[in-house]
Amino acid sequence: MQLSNVVTIVKKEMTDTLRDRRTLIFMLLVPIAAIPLLMMGLSSLMVSQINKVKGETSEIVIQGSQFLPEDLQTVFSEASGLAIKAEDEFEGKDLMEELKEGSFEALVVVPEGFGSNVQRETPAGIDIFYDEAEMKSEFAERKIKDILTDYKDRVVQKRMEGYGLSGELLNPFAITSQNVAPLQKMAGKEFGTILPYLIIIMCFMGAMYPAIDLAAGEKERGTLETLLVSPATRGEFVFGKYIVILITGIVAAFLSLGSLVFSLNYMVEDLFKGMSKMLAIEFDLSTIALVFLVVLPLAGIFAGVLLSVSIFARSFKEAQSYVTALNMLIILPAIVSFLPGVEIDYRMAIIPVVNASLIIKDAISGSIQWNFVFVALLSNTVLAAIALVFCKKWFEKESVLFRM
Amino acid sequence: MIKAEELTKIFKDKKRGEVRAVDHVSFTCEPGVVYGLLGPNGAGKTTTLRMLSTALRPTSGTAVINGVDVTKEPQKVRSQIGFLSGGTGLYGRLSPREMVAYFGKLYGMSKEAIEERIEKLFDMLDMHDFASARNEKLSGGMKQKVSIARSVVHDPPAMIFDEPTTGLDVMSSRTIVQFIRQCGDEGKTVIFSTHIMSEAMRLCDRVGIIHKGKLYAEGTVNEVLERSGTSNLEDAFIKIVGE
Repeated sequence: MQLSNVVTIVKKEMTDTLRDRRTLIFMLLVPIAAIPLLMMGLSSLMVSQINKVKGETSEIVIQGSQFLPEDLQTVFSEASGLAIKAEDEFEGKDLMEELKEGSFEALVVVPEGFGSNVQRETPAGIDIFYDEAEMKSEFAERKIKDILTDYKDRVVQKRMEGYGLSGELLNPFAITSQNVAPLQKMAGKEFGTILPYLIIIMCFMGAMYPAIDLAAGEKERGTLETLLVSPATRGEFVFGKYIVILITGIVAAFLSLGSLVFSLNYMVEDLFKGMSKMLAIEFDLSTIALVFLVVLPLAGIFAGVLLSVSIFARSFKEAQSYVTALNMLIILPAIVSFLPGVEIDYRMAIIPVVNASLIIKDAISGSIQWNFVFVALLSNTVLAAIALVFCKKWFEKESVLFRM
Repeated sequence: MIKAEELTKIFKDKKRGEVRAVDHVSFTCEPGVVYGLLGPNGAGKTTTLRMLSTALRPTSGTAVINGVDVTKEPQKVRSQIGFLSGGTGLYGRLSPREMVAYFGKLYGMSKEAIEERIEKLFDMLDMHDFASARNEKLSGGMKQKVSIARSVVHDPPAMIFDEPTTGLDVMSSRTIVQFIRQCGDEGKTVIFSTHIMSEAMRLCDRVGIIHKGKLYAEGTVNEVLERSGTSNLEDAFIKIVGE
């Protein structure tokens, strides 16, 4: 293999590729724009949704409200965010059915003699019914529970005082939990799940169009034969094309990473007020270097597999349909970072894509296990090499090049 | 000089089993002579020319181009030949200049040699006006000129044309025909395949008639006409092939 030929081929294919609008969109535009847009969209949707629900009043019905102690009745009627609907409104109707249908958000059932039972220190119960599938109903339930708990505490306090005991008796010590996770780990938990997936998918999509164009495209344009009869060897062509596809994949992956770091540091503050501190991931150089180390052989696998599929395909269209199927095959293992409780082990470290997804996830949360990183790199590099050799074999095979 | 010796290519096809696309074909093309390989679609013309150009390896037999054997030194053969077919396309996003220069580099030419050659070819083919435009924006005739310039950038002694006018409009195919004639006049060894007999009558010094992978007749156009007792190649073809 002559290096000068490979350089010639890489230069030409790079020029050609960078002039292709489709490639530019997937290699540059999507990785740069997708993440900020996604984050902006998701967060503003979430924030507005939460604010909307929080700001609204939930309607509740208290069945048997006349049995409530008077002071508790007042608390309910004065509670902000709760509007009490009169029971009479639903006369003749099944209140439980009405709740299920969403006529109101929660139902409090007060049994007969509740107030006097409490007064007489006889055991008493009160039921709350709500619909957990509805966010509004959940909020209503929480509010009602808060009011009742408060009231219960006051009753306890009063009773103990009646017996000449201090209210502190029931509270021998205070429990306060404090989060000691470093910022990086917290942020890692939040965004570590989605980032590996995004990087992997962007890497694949960035390499996708150049790969299709560089082999199936040659067949479709009728330029393949002119290459085959030129003095550069088949191996040189395959290697040159492989490098170009590899580069586009890596560039796309890193633009998406860069775009994410940028969005986290500069956009989040405006989007989520008060949450910005927690989300400001510090991507230090060693994290970025590790991500690069993991993405490199993975991009190598993608480039090899995409190129061999593209060499095999008779036309641009055929290659596209194979690549669409491949895309699904990549998404499934990449999604593993979303799954809670999936931790990297030696078995996971061998499986391509899965290993990269888990290692990037760990790297972002600041915990790197080098033994697994090493196994993953080795496994991915070997697979990338096999894919490259496979491409070369196919590019030398007449029945593949001139498939009828 | 191009010399085919018992060239044979067998394809393995799932449905049809073994297919003898080219079956013991031998012929010789001399420098300065335009040799036409005539036959209907599927006769084995393209396969024969692909073996000559080293895109395919012969199953048996061989061809020698300018003294170099295609089975022994395919890499060396490639710098001896220029190849052009009707289906040959261009890189749409490159300009004619970039495209021709790319192939010059692949053929191992120096930067200066490429520059010089491009000037000469673009003068000859009158291509300077669109030398820096993108190939995809060019007209059919312009595209053919780019293909021609690409095929001869390394000034090969032998030229192989596979159905060069198929699918081209009148102007483009005229450009190609003139170019083939010119190659012969310059003393290059020229072989081209076609299924259009009138084109062969106009262009060829010698012809070979190929059908179902076998070479049925060979000689100068007049010899072939005489032997078949006909006045044009089309009738001669029908008579020789015996259908």
